[in-house]
Amino acid sequence: MKINRNIIHYIWPVASVLMTAILLLILIGVDLGSAFSGFFRGMFGNIYQISEVLVKTTPLLLAGLGCSIGFQCGFINLGAEGQLYMGALASSVVAIFLGHLPHLLLIPLMMVCGFLAGGLWALIPGVMKAKFGLSEVIMSLMFNYIAIQFIALAIRTWLKDPEYPFPMSQPFTESAQLPRLVPRTRLHIGFIIAIVLAALVYIFLWKTARGFQIRACGCNPRASFCVGVNVNLNIILSSLLSGGLAGFAGFVEVSGVQHKLMDGISSNYGYLAVMVSLLGSNHPLGVAIAALLLGALDIGGLSMQRSAGVPTSLTTVILGMIVIVFLLRHHFGKKEKEISHE
Amino acid sequence: MQIDMRNIRKTFFGAPVLKGVDFCVHSGEIHALLGENGAGKSTLMNILYGLYKPDDGTITIDGEEVSIEDPRDALSQGIGMVHQHFQLVNTLTVSENITLGLRETGYPFSKRKLIDQRIKELSETFGLDVDPAKLIKGLSVGERQRIEIMKLLYRSAKIFILDEPTAVLSPPEVESFFNVLRELRNAGNGVVIITHKIGEVMQISDRVTVLRDGEGVLQSRLEDTNEHELSKAMIGRTLTQREHEIRSIDVTSPRLVLQDVTIHDGKLSLLQNLSISIAPGEIMGIAGVDGNGQQELAEAIIGIRKLSSGTITFNGNKVDGRSIIDRMNNGMGYIPADRHNDAILLPMNLNQNLLLKKHLDPNYLNHHFLKRKKAESTTKNLIKEFFIKTPSENTAIRYLSGGNQQKFVLARELDSDLQLLIAFQPTRGLDLGATDFIQSQLLDLANRGVSILLISTDLQEIISLSDRIAVLYKGENMGILENDDQLDIALVGAMMGGKRLENQ
Ligand SMILES: Nc1ncnc2c1ncn2[C@@H]1O[C@H](COP(=O)(O)OP(=O)(O)OP(=O)(O)O)[C@@H](O)[C@H]1O
Ligand SMILES: [Mg+2]
Repeated sequence: MKINRNIIHYIWPVASVLMTAILLLILIGVDLGSAFSGFFRGMFGNIYQISEVLVKTTPLLLAGLGCSIGFQCGFINLGAEGQLYMGALASSVVAIFLGHLPHLLLIPLMMVCGFLAGGLWALIPGVMKAKFGLSEVIMSLMFNYIAIQFIALAIRTWLKDPEYPFPMSQPFTESAQLPRLVPRTRLHIGFIIAIVLAALVYIFLWKTARGFQIRACGCNPRASFCVGVNVNLNIILSSLLSGGLAGFAGFVEVSGVQHKLMDGISSNYGYLAVMVSLLGSNHPLGVAIAALLLGALDIGGLSMQRSAGVPTSLTTVILGMIVIVFLLRHHFGKKEKEISHE
Repeated sequence: MQIDMRNIRKTFFGAPVLKGVDFCVHSGEIHALLGENGAGKSTLMNILYGLYKPDDGTITIDGEEVSIEDPRDALSQGIGMVHQHFQLVNTLTVSENITLGLRETGYPFSKRKLIDQRIKELSETFGLDVDPAKLIKGLSVGERQRIEIMKLLYRSAKIFILDEPTAVLSPPEVESFFNVLRELRNAGNGVVIITHKIGEVMQISDRVTVLRDGEGVLQSRLEDTNEHELSKAMIGRTLTQREHEIRSIDVTSPRLVLQDVTIHDGKLSLLQNLSISIAPGEIMGIAGVDGNGQQELAEAIIGIRKLSSGTITFNGNKVDGRSIIDRMNNGMGYIPADRHNDAILLPMNLNQNLLLKKHLDPNYLNHHFLKRKKAESTTKNLIKEFFIKTPSENTAIRYLSGGNQQKFVLARELDSDLQLLIAFQPTRGLDLGATDFIQSQLLDLANRGVSILLISTDLQEIISLSDRIAVLYKGENMGILENDDQLDIALVGAMMGGKRLENQ
C-alpha cells in the first residue's frame, strides 16, 4: 500500500510530462525515434554537447541561487533578468575601459563590479519593500525592462564598437576573458565558480546565524520581528545578495562565453532562474540539479530542432509542463498527510 | 441528528494518536470533550471535520455510514468546526470573511447588503454580537471567535465543533459566549466543546467524554459524574485550587516603570496615560476583558510598538526608543498571546524554533556559525523539563498539539537570564497539570527576583498569582489593587467594566 503510493507519486509526474511531449511531437508530425535520439544525443552525445549543457547550466545556477536567497527571505525577486543584464554591463564596462590591466587583477574587478551592479539593481526594490512596504514582485519585474533597454541603448551609443555595424561593444581583451576548462569547448571556469558559490550559499543559509535569520524572516516575518530580528535589514541584505548572484551570472556570460556585450546575452536565464529556484525548492542542491535539468533540456531541444526539425518552442512547453506538474506534486498519489490546521 | 464515531484509530508517522476511540454527539446537547495536552482531542475532531482520514473506524450520521472527505463535505452534512487557532483573513471585512469561499447571493458579484442583512438577523437570533462592516484587523479575540461561529451559522451547520473556544476569553465574555451556546442548543443544534477547564464543563455541558493518551476513558452524562472524577480521568490525579500566597515585596526601587504611556493609532487611543511600576520579584497582574489594550501594553514594553508619548524605564534606564533585541539582551522576556503569529516558525522544527530566540546568543555561536549540537541538547532538555509531548526535537512544531506548542514557547523564554518577564496568557490552552506546572514556574521565577507582568483574561489566574492587580479598560488603568485578603473580587469585576478606583 505504502510502496504503491510512493511509486505512483513518482511515476505520475514523469509520465504526464512524457505523454505531453509525445503527444506534441505526434501533433507536429515528426518521427518520434529521430526526435528522441536527437534530444538525448544533443545532451550527452559527446564531450562538446555535455560541455554545452554545462555552459547553459552555469548562469542558470548562479541566477537561480540568487532567486533562492530572495525567496528564502520572502523577497520575491522576479528581476533576475534585469540584474543579470546590469551585472553584464558593469563587468563589460570594466573590461573595455580597463582592458589593459593584468588578468589576475581585471577578472576579480569585473566579478566584484558585476556582483555589485546586479545587487544594487535589486536593492532598489528591496529598500522599497523594506521601507515603504511596496510590492517587490511588480517592482523587480518592471526593473527588468528598464535594465534591458538601458543595455540596448548603451551598446548603440557610448559602448558601441565603432569598427562594427551591429549594436555591440568592443570585444574583450584576452585578459578580460575567463579561462577555458576544456580545450575546444566553451566550458569556462565560471562553472566551477558557480558550484563553489552554491556550496557557499548553502553554508551561509543553513549554518550561519545571518542565514538563519534570513530564512526565519521568510518563514514568519512577524515572529522574527517579535523576537528582535531586524526584518527590514534582512530583506535588504537578501535583495542585495539575490541581485548580486544574478549580476554575477551576467559577468560569467560576458566574460566566459560572449566576450562582448550585446543584445540578448541572456537567453532568458533570469526568468528561467525563477523556475530553477522553484523546482529546486530554494535549496542550493536542488537549484543545482534544476539548473542542470533546464540546461540539458535547452541543449537537447536545440539538437532536436537540428536533427528532426522540431521547433524549440516545444522545449518551452515541456518546461511549463514540468513546473505545473511540480506544483501539483502533492496531489499525485498521496493527498492528505501533512496538512495541519491545528 | 446523531453522529457516532466508532473505534477511530489514527497514526501519525508511526505514532498512534487515537487508539480506537468511540465518540458520539447529537442535536440538542452540549458535549464537552476533555483531555490533557496531546491526548488527541483536536485530531479526533479534525477527523469528524474531514481534515484527516481515520486509519480505521466508522462514522455514522443518523445510523448511516458516511465518509467525510474534506471540510466542505463535512459542512454539507451539517458539521462545522472552529479551530484552536482562528482562520480569518485580516485584511477583509467581517462580512467578507463570513462568506469567504461561498458561492451564493449573486456570486461573484456578491450582494453585500443582503448578506449583511442575513448576518444581522442571525446575530440577533443567537445573541451573537458581530458588526459585518468592520475589518478583522483590530478586532479582539472574543470578537474573532464570534465571527468564526457566525461563519458556521451562515453555512447552516447543525453540529458545532469548538476547539478550546474559551481559552482566549475573559470571564464575562465566557458568560455571554455560553449564552450563545445555549441558544444554539435550544435551537436544536449539537455542540462539541473542547476545554481544559472542569468548571466550565460543569457549567455548560450536558454530556462529557474524556480522552487520555488517545483512548476514551470516560463517557457520561453530566449528572452522573463530578469534578473529582473528571479530573481523575483526565490527568490521573486531582488538583486543588492554587491558593494565593501573600508575599512581602520591597517596592522601594521598582525595576520597570511606565510613566504616562500613551499609544495612538490614528484618532483611536489604544493606551491612555498608563502608569505602572513593577518591583524585582513582584508579579503584577493585568486584568481586563480582552482587547482593552493588553496587547499594546505588552508590545510597548518589549518594543514591538512605539509610544506616542510617555516613558518606560527599566533598571533606571530609559528604554523607549531602544530596539527589541536590546531590551531582551538587558533581561526582558516576552511570551506573546498569539503564538502562531508572534512566536514560532510553524514549518520549522523545535531546534530551529529554539534558535529563533537563541541565534544571536554568543553561547550558541561559534564566530558566525550556529552551534547545532548545543541547540539540540538544549531543546532536548527543555522537552524533558517541561514535559513537551513530541516525537523528537526534529519534528516541525506545527505537528505538536496546541498546548505543547505553548509549553515550548514558555520553555524557550524561561531558559534565559530574565529580569522581567511579560507573560501574556501564559497558560492559554494548557491542560490542568501543565497550567499548574507553569504557574509554579512563574512563582519560582518571581521568588528568584524576576519581575513578572502577568497579563491574563483568566481572573482566577491573576488572583492566585499576582501581588498587585491593575485593571485595564479601554486602554486606561482603572486602578491598582493590593492582592491581599481584603481583595474585593466584585470590585475587580466592576473595574473590568469601566469603574474607576477612587483616590488614584
Ligand atoms: N498532523 C500531525 N502530524 C503529526 N503528529 C500530529 C499531527 N497532528 C497531531 N499530531 C500529534 O498527535 C497528538 C495529539 O494531538 P492533538 O492536537 O489531537 O492533541 P489535543 O488533545 O488537541 O491537545 P491540546 O490540548 O494540546 O490541543 C500530539 O502528540 C501531536 O503531536
Ligand atoms: Mg488541540
